[in-house]
Amino acid sequence: MDVTAPEGFSVPTVAARAEAICLNRICKSYRRGNSALAALTEITLTVEQGQFVTLFGPSGCGKSTLLRIVAGLEPHDGGDLSLFGQTPLEASQQKNVSWVPQSPALLPWLSIHANVLLSRFINRRADRRPHPERVPQDAHEVLAEMGLAEFADARPAQLSGGMRQRAALARGFILGAPVMLMDEPFSALDELTRDSLCWHLLDVWERHRKTVLFVTHSAGEAVLLSDKVVVMTPRPGRVQAVIDIDLPRPRTPEVAESSAFLSLVSEVKKKLRIGRENDA
Amino acid sequence: MFLLLGAVWQFVAIHQKSILPSLDDVGAELLSRPGFYLSNLWVTVYAALIGFLIGTALAITLAITVIHFSFLRSAVVPVALLLNVTPIVAISPALIVAFGFNAVPHVIVAAVAAFFPMLINAMSGLQSVDPQALEVFRSMAASRADIFFRLRLPTSLPYLFAGAKLAISAAMVGSIVSEFMGTSHGIGATIVMATTYLNLNQMWAAIFISAISSLVLIGLVDLLEKMTIRW
Repeated sequence: MDVTAPEGFSVPTVAARAEAICLNRICKSYRRGNSALAALTEITLTVEQGQFVTLFGPSGCGKSTLLRIVAGLEPHDGGDLSLFGQTPLEASQQKNVSWVPQSPALLPWLSIHANVLLSRFINRRADRRPHPERVPQDAHEVLAEMGLAEFADARPAQLSGGMRQRAALARGFILGAPVMLMDEPFSALDELTRDSLCWHLLDVWERHRKTVLFVTHSAGEAVLLSDKVVVMTPRPGRVQAVIDIDLPRPRTPEVAESSAFLSLVSEVKKKLRIGRENDA
Repeated sequence: MFLLLGAVWQFVAIHQKSILPSLDDVGAELLSRPGFYLSNLWVTVYAALIGFLIGTALAITLAITVIHFSFLRSAVVPVALLLNVTPIVAISPALIVAFGFNAVPHVIVAAVAAFFPMLINAMSGLQSVDPQALEVFRSMAASRADIFFRLRLPTSLPYLFAGAKLAISAAMVGSIVSEFMGTSHGIGATIVMATTYLNLNQMWAAIFISAISSLVLIGLVDLLEKMTIRW
């Protein structure tokens, strides 16, 4: 197959193209007075196109920091990374990264419809020559997929916490970026709401099949959503294990009750425990 | 509460005529020459409004500058603070010497009074953006203009209106106090004149209408806020 590079991009081989996110020995440390505190040490990780990968670990293991580095929201000290062959800065300038934060961060003065369309109004320069990998989605369609069709004209304050988070996910999908980065988007919600949101996310992701890097501290959530779970441990933040999740897709409630699912969840938890014992 | 205040007032007025005039006398005074009071009130309100507009415009401009160039902050804030702690009554004579017997000194005093509350509120408002929303903007490489007009400005609107309410009443106070000297027009001058002639009715009539007009001005800002902020 012959792949021609779009203007300004180099696509060397088909195989390289399948690697959506490449992290190579990423390091990050914070300065505390005179000493440096290592937050991440030599993180190497590859995410293939269309994969859903979860960074899982306790607080302080640097999973959110890593995600922020990938998004270009924070600089890193060593190593290199690329998103579809671009640096985080290039990717954000072309709006090729969709960031879903911990809180919905909707703008209270805009309707839900205007909120989810935020990416259309920001950095319009990127839209003049859009990157071929980015396909903006129709707002009404995605809102309907998220079960928010009737709330398009409502203001964020009129919605429940779970609905607001769904709107934030919709905003992420509507941008249509090939890479989506989700920083514990469900952490502020109660368990029942998180659970239903997980299924919503799976459902919508099945339709869009974006490359997703997802951060969570819930093992069940990690296994249910992912193709690959990256177990991270703190002090300093490092990758303890990478576990492939070979459960069938689309994931159904039956899958979530299967013994294969439960044994994967306990394997993920065990890897984390081993990492901590080595620590002590 | 108002009824109780009124009753106490009347009690004092009847037993100690030199302390307070009775409310009906004040009312009668106001109604006997409404033109006199309204024309003087207009002089004061006009100076207060112009001063308010100048002071708040400067304050907002400065706040926006300080937000974007943080090194200016440590330079600007002490100066603003110094301006705030300088008694308005003290600068008023100096301004009359500098600008003469016209409206300019009164407008300047009103502007100075309005400046500080607006500056403080505008600075905290413009800084109060949701950090996670800011990250959503930054993740798409939003320009400074995008961030300012689509995030900072709308976020700061409630703060700006709170500042405007403080600023407009401060501008009224500034305007009245500055009229204590160097002019024969305005509510401040009316109060001073009444003092010279020991005309308690005139004095309290002037005080009442200045208080009421301040309330009306705050109410107008409030109305504007309700029309602008609908979330």
